[in-house]
Amino acid sequence: MSSISESAAVSGVAPESTLDLHEIQATVLRPRPAPYFGTHVLLRIDEPSAGRKLFRRLTPHIDSADSWWTAANPWLSVGISYAGLKAVGLPDNSLQSFPEAFREGMAARARQLGDVGLNDPKNWDAAYGKGEVHIGVQAFSDSEEDRRRIIGLAREQIDGLSVSILAMQDFGAQPGDLNSLGYKDGIDQPAIEGSGFDPLPGQGQPIKPGEFILGYPGEAGFPLPMPQPDILGRNGTFVGFRKYQSRVGAFNRFLQAHGSNEAERELLAAKLVGRWRSGAPLVLAPEVDNPAVGADPQRNNDFNYANDPRGRQAPFGCHIRRMNPRDSKLTRLTDVNLHRLIRRGTTYGPPYDPNALSEADDEVPRGAIFLFISAKAMTTIEFLQQEWINDGNFIGIGDERDPIIGLQQEGAVFTIPREPVRRRVHSIETFNVLRGGEYFFMPSISALNWLANGFQ
Amino acid sequence: MASQSQTATASETELTGAQKIQQLRELFADATDVGKTALENVIKELSSQVSEPPPPIESAGRVGARLGQRSELTIIVPLVPGGAKRLRTFLQLLGGNLSPGASKVGTLHDMRFVFIDNDTRLLFATSFDGDWDTYIDDFIALIPDYLDLMDSAWEGWPGIRNPGAKDYLVKHQITAEGWFVANPELSLAEIDRLKRVGAAADEFLDKIQ
Repeated sequence: MSSISESAAVSGVAPESTLDLHEIQATVLRPRPAPYFGTHVLLRIDEPSAGRKLFRRLTPHIDSADSWWTAANPWLSVGISYAGLKAVGLPDNSLQSFPEAFREGMAARARQLGDVGLNDPKNWDAAYGKGEVHIGVQAFSDSEEDRRRIIGLAREQIDGLSVSILAMQDFGAQPGDLNSLGYKDGIDQPAIEGSGFDPLPGQGQPIKPGEFILGYPGEAGFPLPMPQPDILGRNGTFVGFRKYQSRVGAFNRFLQAHGSNEAERELLAAKLVGRWRSGAPLVLAPEVDNPAVGADPQRNNDFNYANDPRGRQAPFGCHIRRMNPRDSKLTRLTDVNLHRLIRRGTTYGPPYDPNALSEADDEVPRGAIFLFISAKAMTTIEFLQQEWINDGNFIGIGDERDPIIGLQQEGAVFTIPREPVRRRVHSIETFNVLRGGEYFFMPSISALNWLANGFQ
Repeated sequence: MASQSQTATASETELTGAQKIQQLRELFADATDVGKTALENVIKELSSQVSEPPPPIESAGRVGARLGQRSELTIIVPLVPGGAKRLRTFLQLLGGNLSPGASKVGTLHDMRFVFIDNDTRLLFATSFDGDWDTYIDDFIALIPDYLDLMDSAWEGWPGIRNPGAKDYLVKHQITAEGWFVANPELSLAEIDRLKRVGAAADEFLDKIQ
């Protein structure tokens, strides 16, 4: 294939894995291709037998993570919400074995997630948060042609069943795989022990697989509790699906208001994220962008914060230092490895437009749908939302919030540490608004067959 | 456990200020004269505050009360035979001052261990930043032995790595009925930040003199 996924762009050694790769769904381990194209499909099952029929038809087309490092384009994956598991008639004792936050659903956990105000579930797109989304199907490919082919294949499996399509959202960020605020994204992913590849430079010590896939030891040395029976839980994982809309006008107005020329605006844009738009981290390119570093997977993540203890290169509050503080000094006893997620970011809508300045531009449907994957995705997303996104206490900056995905309050500020005195940027707004969200269980291939065969 | 009965009390707060005062007077009808006089004097002072109460105390997650950044936790547990002696001796290892280890946690404002009922039960009370289980996975990963060392004196403690550990704590926790925090918006991290800012401001002022 033409496209080699970035994380797999390591040379040499034949991969060896200690995980049941043929059981784990491909999307869990396989990074999106470059370039990437795809579609999210959200389904409602209208009668229990239709759900089982759908799994019977769909499962042969769901890819496993076998040889995930090769770009076996295109591929399909599937997740089931708690409402979906009920809709297919999963027995009650099995339903009750799922974690509480998953059973309640993302909308009902709005308090714990801080999804209030602009991000309140009552403002979400029609399909979400009502317990109607039962199934999420994801198609990934490296060309528009293949995307159409594989999504056609998925639709054939749905045709003629009592299953309703609630939403279809195509994605793919062209040109250049930049996200809807104009940055290269998806660079830093956790390395998973036993997944078959040595970590990329800067990925850090591999994290125990049980943090990301059910049935394996986690960081504390033992596996997390699994949904029951065993065949349903093992090699499965959880997915937090969150749809954001980017307020590109507000973002550009903010840059215009606080940067008097292009260079100042681009530096401010880099300070917000901790990387230049090219992907080059500020720690490696503190003064000016270095696109060659940004483009090189061997170099663009190869750093820590040992030489930036005061945040003068990457501000404490910037997006990437929050989402992975690495060796930053934190105020609270924290094991950073416990709060990582595998992210599959999927950008939708028209590309970033640096000249979009109006409030109407904020309403253009473009943004990103994220799949946040972890064996304890609900706990981790709630932790991140409370501690690392919508607060700053964990890293000693008071109540400042994540400048990219935080929900900003009236009078919010962003502090840029500098010599001799820090710069405090006022009037930062919410640049990405939550438009929907669901929790899915992403079962193993055997579990999908078990669901298809009426729980046996 | 005692925590179950608290919920009912909390939901009865629909009474008006005047009704609450009336209810108090009825309950104090059988009190001593000292109590009755004190009540009337206090009502004079507090009546305006009763009709316009301060911000309500929130929940700290599954159990416990929260004011702003701060949450409280009170646990009363029966001790295993010999548990009090073990735990007391361990606490005395540092002369009863737990600050060297406890300050590393970064969210704990205070902690106290009180042995009651002839060493058969322990009252453990603490206040801390945030919901009580936010960092529990971090504690399990980073300081499991400290938790198990202290909690193994507790009757029926399943071990911090046991999935039932959280339920055990919830079962023995009693939510406070009344509570005061002087600066509920100040987390420990924020207090530390303000100390740094204060020191920097003084240094700056010294330099421009």
